Amino acid sequence: MNWRSIFFAAPLAALAFAATAATASAAGPTCPDGAIKVGAVSTITGPADFSEVPKATKAAFDALNAAGGLNGCKIDYTIEDDKADPAVAAQAARDLIDNKEVVALVGSASLLDCAVNAATYNRKKVLSVQGLGVDAACFSSPSISPVNVGPYTLSTAMGYFATKTLKAKNLCAFFIIIGGTQEAYKKSIADWEKITGQKIHLLDLTLPFQGDLTPYVIKARDAGCDAVLTNQVEPQVVQLIKTVDAQKITGINWLFLAPAYTEQVAKALADSKQPIYAGTEWEPYTETGAEANAQWIADMKKAGRPLTAFSQGGYLAAKNFLKVIEGIDGPVTRESVTKALYDMKPIKDPLAGSPWIFGKAKTHSPMRSTKVMKLEKGAWVVETPDFVVLPKVN
Amino acid sequence: METYFTAAVAGLTAGGAYALLGVCAVFTYRLVAVVNFTGAAIGTAGTFMLISLTEAGYPTWPSVLAGIVTGTAVGVAIGFVMTRWFATAGASTKAAVTAALLVGLIAIGLRLTGGQHPHVMPELFPGSAFRLAGVQVTNASALTIGLAVLFTVASSLFLNGTRTGLHLRALSERPMAAELLGVRVRLLSLFVWGVTGAFTTFALMIIAPQRSPNFMTLSLLVVPALAAALIGLFRSFWLTLAGGIALGILEGLASTVDVVSQYRSAIPFLVILAVLLWSQREARWDEAR
Amino acid sequence: MKRASIRASLALLAVAAVLGAAAVLFLSSYWIFLLTGVLITGVALQSLGLVAGRAGMIALCQMSFAGVGAWTVGYLNVAEVPGGLTVWILLGGLAAVPFGVAIGLPALRLRGINLAIVTLSFATAFDTILATITYPGQTAFIQVARPAPFDSDGGYFVFALLFYVAIAVLLEFLARARIGASWLAIRHSERAAAAHGVSIAASKLSAFAISAFIAGISGGLLAGYLGTLVAENFSMMQSLSLYAVAVMAGARFAEGAIIGALLVIMFPEILRRLSLPQDLGNVLFAIGATQALSTGEAMSETFRRLGRKLLPARKQPEKTAPGVLPRPAPGAAPRPVLSIENLTVRYGSVVALDRVNLAVPVGTVAGLIGPNGAGKSTFIDAVTGFLPSYEGSVRLGGEALDRLPAHLRARAGVRRTWQTNRIAPELTVGGYLALAAKGLPETETRKLLAWLDCPDPETPVAKVDAGTRRLLDVAGVVAARPAIVLLDEPAAGQSHEETLRLGRRIAEIPELFGTAVLLVEHDMDLVRSVCAEVTVLDFGQVIASGPPARVLTDGTVKKAYLGITEGSAAA
Repeated sequence: MNWRSIFFAAPLAALAFAATAATASAAGPTCPDGAIKVGAVSTITGPADFSEVPKATKAAFDALNAAGGLNGCKIDYTIEDDKADPAVAAQAARDLIDNKEVVALVGSASLLDCAVNAATYNRKKVLSVQGLGVDAACFSSPSISPVNVGPYTLSTAMGYFATKTLKAKNLCAFFIIIGGTQEAYKKSIADWEKITGQKIHLLDLTLPFQGDLTPYVIKARDAGCDAVLTNQVEPQVVQLIKTVDAQKITGINWLFLAPAYTEQVAKALADSKQPIYAGTEWEPYTETGAEANAQWIADMKKAGRPLTAFSQGGYLAAKNFLKVIEGIDGPVTRESVTKALYDMKPIKDPLAGSPWIFGKAKTHSPMRSTKVMKLEKGAWVVETPDFVVLPKVN
Repeated sequence: METYFTAAVAGLTAGGAYALLGVCAVFTYRLVAVVNFTGAAIGTAGTFMLISLTEAGYPTWPSVLAGIVTGTAVGVAIGFVMTRWFATAGASTKAAVTAALLVGLIAIGLRLTGGQHPHVMPELFPGSAFRLAGVQVTNASALTIGLAVLFTVASSLFLNGTRTGLHLRALSERPMAAELLGVRVRLLSLFVWGVTGAFTTFALMIIAPQRSPNFMTLSLLVVPALAAALIGLFRSFWLTLAGGIALGILEGLASTVDVVSQYRSAIPFLVILAVLLWSQREARWDEAR
Repeated sequence: MKRASIRASLALLAVAAVLGAAAVLFLSSYWIFLLTGVLITGVALQSLGLVAGRAGMIALCQMSFAGVGAWTVGYLNVAEVPGGLTVWILLGGLAAVPFGVAIGLPALRLRGINLAIVTLSFATAFDTILATITYPGQTAFIQVARPAPFDSDGGYFVFALLFYVAIAVLLEFLARARIGASWLAIRHSERAAAAHGVSIAASKLSAFAISAFIAGISGGLLAGYLGTLVAENFSMMQSLSLYAVAVMAGARFAEGAIIGALLVIMFPEILRRLSLPQDLGNVLFAIGATQALSTGEAMSETFRRLGRKLLPARKQPEKTAPGVLPRPAPGAAPRPVLSIENLTVRYGSVVALDRVNLAVPVGTVAGLIGPNGAGKSTFIDAVTGFLPSYEGSVRLGGEALDRLPAHLRARAGVRRTWQTNRIAPELTVGGYLALAAKGLPETETRKLLAWLDCPDPETPVAKVDAGTRRLLDVAGVVAARPAIVLLDEPAAGQSHEETLRLGRRIAEIPELFGTAVLLVEHDMDLVRSVCAEVTVLDFGQVIASGPPARVLTDGTVKKAYLGITEGSAAA
């Protein structure tokens, strides 16, 4: 019996749980302290708010706890804010590890948690199932495995989509480089070149985080780009397209990453005639009728949480984590959880296009597929009904 | 050559914004003797009032009015702090106060407006005015520059030609003496704070759609604005205007040269460093002391 | 002075040793981790306390300097440069120095507010540059290696504590040395500092250089603390809020820096425990800094004040007997000491001084009088080098001074006082004299003070009453035994008794110090009693000069000077 059925089929829960508990009493996860302590470090206040991710994780854990917990073990989940301040992030991680004694981190989503804390996680032998990996270190650390594709792999995937589906000949890439992401983005483009055998037409790593974008769109136009890939985050996506429209530029496909895929962007750009595409991290969250989203939607509705892409990430992190620890025989401790994550088999979840795995690799970037959305009249529509799966790079 | 010209024209949008805010900074300094680090943040507060009202479905122009009222109120509030506790303090202390207040304002602003979701910023003056060197000069950027020029002219006339202007200059130079002359210092200062608050708010409403409307990035426009004001040595409106536009053009030019493009935001720093070292090579003594 | 530094340093060491040992023994590793953060932030705050707190310059880019230090440590770590973290941190500090000097350069001629803008734009520029450079070793997972005995949390706490204490001791010594006094002096008045021969350039640059060095060290310590860093550690907002905290806590004292650091580190902790949003911290820092600026008293100063009230007053050291001051070495002093020829100063079309000639002979007290606006202060400004330009020549013992800036004229032997008192109130009486006269022996300091009935050297200037401060002004200019002193209305605001006493002392100056005096005064009794020669200025022109008995009875002088007729002047 799979725990997920307990979790999601409420009426059956009690019955099913009894059954699982009966079999699991012989072998299965136990908790000497009465609860399994799990934590997350997220940017909640400050320049960005990613709290939707760990809150969805919490919703998933709460639902499990309400159904009696995992083999009788409740999940005790703590979310800590890092305010996008490295010192506070380091404090938060140490507080979770030393004081709260968490067995693992699940559903973290922060501007800098990975970069600041990856070393701490390594040293303390605590693993993090990142709900939303943002900075480059999330995808290049032995102790972190995100459940999302992430901006770097997604850049490669969107470039791949532009070449393969949109038949772009002159792909240009403009990246904002903050917090030492330069190497990571350069590698994404190098990977794209290896996969497609094409050369990037123009690569600009100097896009300003704040400031006027007119010089850049003029540069793209004058260089003859037919597709422009950029890692702009939400507000700047709107700014960019507004600038493009102001300059009356046509004939360029605009390719964005997952941060562009929000209803606010769709609304703000409802008037634009530009062909705008965005890659998703998971099954498009706006596709509320999709089979793959059904369980997630049901659970979020029950918890009263909004349906956003962020909440998919938190939710998926919780699911994958629970799936791994339910296979533990004996006490759920930091050591046993770490071992279980190291030795796990890949988990295929309908929400994601790629199977997720932690494992013992030196870096983790297991998710390598996206669905592409197109902006049409103020709404996002699915452009690729199937996941665009990135081929292996040789 | 043509690419450079194109890039320079593309930089006009930013230049107009810097110039406009720079002129506002000089205006504040000359009238209330405060180098105001919160200048742009005051305008940003008003702009976000406009954004939240239009997002809530209110019509644009009444919302603009409400935004300007908000900006005025925030300006008066900061002016209240400055006149209540720092009326007799030195210029450095006053600048330090506004720098500290900026930290708090940004924190509050981010808290109220949220950092990462884009807000739908209504474009007050959509469309483009004309095309120059292959670049569409938008109504907004033309208006920004026009407004900067207008404000420059108006400020010069006001300060040099009207009785209130003279009063205000007396006030910023010698508040105690002005008080003795029967000028109601406090009220007049608050009035200036309110007016500059209203004006920066309107300026930012025009600038905001060209930028990413985020409370922090808009508030930090104060850095190039003050750089422009420094080029005018906090005295000359015309030099400030020219300085702001020059900064924008330089930034535009820098974006075409890959080597320097990455370090584009160092431009205001280098420019004011050069300008200051040159223009103040003679001035040795701090006048106040 | 030295003794006080050693006493304060020993006290600091004792407190640090006790608290440090207690922390390592009794606290959990998490709290030790937090306290290490406190110490590192404390080092950064100390650097800000120097440049902003002591020298009074608004520096909004302190974390950028720290970033230079941190990145340097990162590179040295990846390159495995021998010497280990301690050496790397010191090198990191040194690497920040050129940046500090580069930022300090415009500060030489800039008013404070301009400097604030320059530093803020530097912080912005540095932000974007740092953001493009990944921390060295981050992608390869090379952590900054800690030295073996300090590898654990507790060990690194001790390591950071050692740095904190070393810097605090260093600053304690600097603060009580002449250089420290010069920082306080330029903060209070640059002109007054220059009039004592302090080079404003050297003083400001040294403040910036040392401050950048310390900030660089804090960055290096941070690198060892966290192992790897991100650009956000050193962003402009961090610099801004650090500045607010430094102002709020009063970071120029060692305990103020710790209070500030506790605020920075413990606030997030408290907010977390109370489940309050983290951004509240910045709002409170802003309010706290505004409050501190409005009262002019930072937290550490409040604590010091309260502490002084609680502690029993220290026993006043006995006043030194008014011993005999050493006489000047007899030398073949040229005569006259100071000679001014055809001095002309114009402000636009206004002629403030018109071909003024004046000579002060050796060993005399000369007087310069004239009605308000006659040009007396302009005359002093011109002679001592505080005017941008003048015509004519100023000679000291035959040497032309015209090309020298003010502080070099002061060093050459032309000293002046000011109409208003310009002594930095943060100094002690002894510290002020040490600033005024380089290398003045302590015994002579005490004798000098006793001669003028000034308080003990340890007394803070802030506690000295206004009348005595005027005497202190005189003590300051004669302490260095210059060739000549120009006293600008020293009797202003003094009682009759005080003026009489002052007159006696001024009359003794040439003999005791080998210094000639040019006295600018309104008090005719004083002028009459001490001056051998008097020169009268009116509308920028010399209208009379000679012995006071003759000049002061001259009809034109009386008319010009007091605007009164002969009859009433006699009364």
